[in-house]
Amino acid sequence: MRTWQKIFGSCCSAAVLFALAACAEKSPEPTPAPTGLSVRGAWARAADSGAMTAVYFTLANDAVSSDTLTGVSSPDAAVTEMHVSTQRDGMMHMSPVTALPVPAMDSVSFRPLGAHVMLTGVVRPLTDGDSVTATLSFVSGATVTVRAGVRKP
Amino acid sequence: MMRSLRLSLLSLALVLTACGEPMKGVEIRDAEVAAPLVFTAHDGTRFDLATEKGKIVLVYFGYTHCPDVCPTTMSDWVRAKRALGEKAEQVRWVFVSMDPDRDTPELALSYARQFDPAFLGLTGTTEELEALKRAWGIAAYPEGDTRTNDYTVAHPAHTFVVDVDGRLRYLYEPGVSGEDLAKDLRKLL
Repeated sequence: MRTWQKIFGSCCSAAVLFALAACAEKSPEPTPAPTGLSVRGAWARAADSGAMTAVYFTLANDAVSSDTLTGVSSPDAAVTEMHVSTQRDGMMHMSPVTALPVPAMDSVSFRPLGAHVMLTGVVRPLTDGDSVTATLSFVSGATVTVRAGVRKP
Repeated sequence: MMRSLRLSLLSLALVLTACGEPMKGVEIRDAEVAAPLVFTAHDGTRFDLATEKGKIVLVYFGYTHCPDVCPTTMSDWVRAKRALGEKAEQVRWVFVSMDPDRDTPELALSYARQFDPAFLGLTGTTEELEALKRAWGIAAYPEGDTRTNDYTVAHPAHTFVVDVDGRLRYLYEPGVSGEDLAKDLRKLL
């Protein structure tokens, strides 16, 4: 290899390294999804048109800051609310929930006999194999769409 | 030494077989004959608990505008019925709505049957349900605004199991698996 080729090659390598170093300074560390919020295992019980049903899922927050779920909506029902079932003194109670904290690096389970998204007045029959959609809204401004497969009761 | 160990293991196995698995339900000591439960279903079928001796009767007091606990329990019943196979013919599955303002006998029956055609759904007037509550020693009451229908109904959590002699014998927590429930019902048949 001729001397000028060595010099040219060294210069190019240096320029590339310099450029990479500059990029490294400007770019932040690799980040997860914009919100860090995700839903898995979503399902809903089958229901007749106009009836009620519940949507269940696991809501994960992989971000380093906590968030709070404050709203739910669905085009598949007349009314969509968050509720929680509780057992006290042998009695079952169901209460509306307006704000549900989702801690950082943690998850919250919506499951039978606990928290659930309640769909009142479903707009069509929900049968095995169908799906329903719900949108979760958070204090941070983030929204997460839940697509839940319908299962037999 | 080995012979002694083998004998010990054999004894332990015999004891375990004799004892069997413990029942998952809460047994009611000194169980008495269950209180009356008599309603006419929407299809004209008259259900009278007193005439069901020889069968096990499962009773759940809920309401049809119940999207979580009641369908969870009914689904567990579905799995229990399936696990019982032909034995399920010796079991009655009775859902009683405790929401007389919104639920009719027609709604109660269609609600129960959406889970299984063999399930019976019953309800009555406010007066009849009040009498039922007193007789069974249970509570059920609306929570919320009944004027706008924006309310839920607090209701007993458990499945009530009446044995083949008509005695109220066991209570089952919500969330008991259908398979566990079926195992217990087999022992009661």
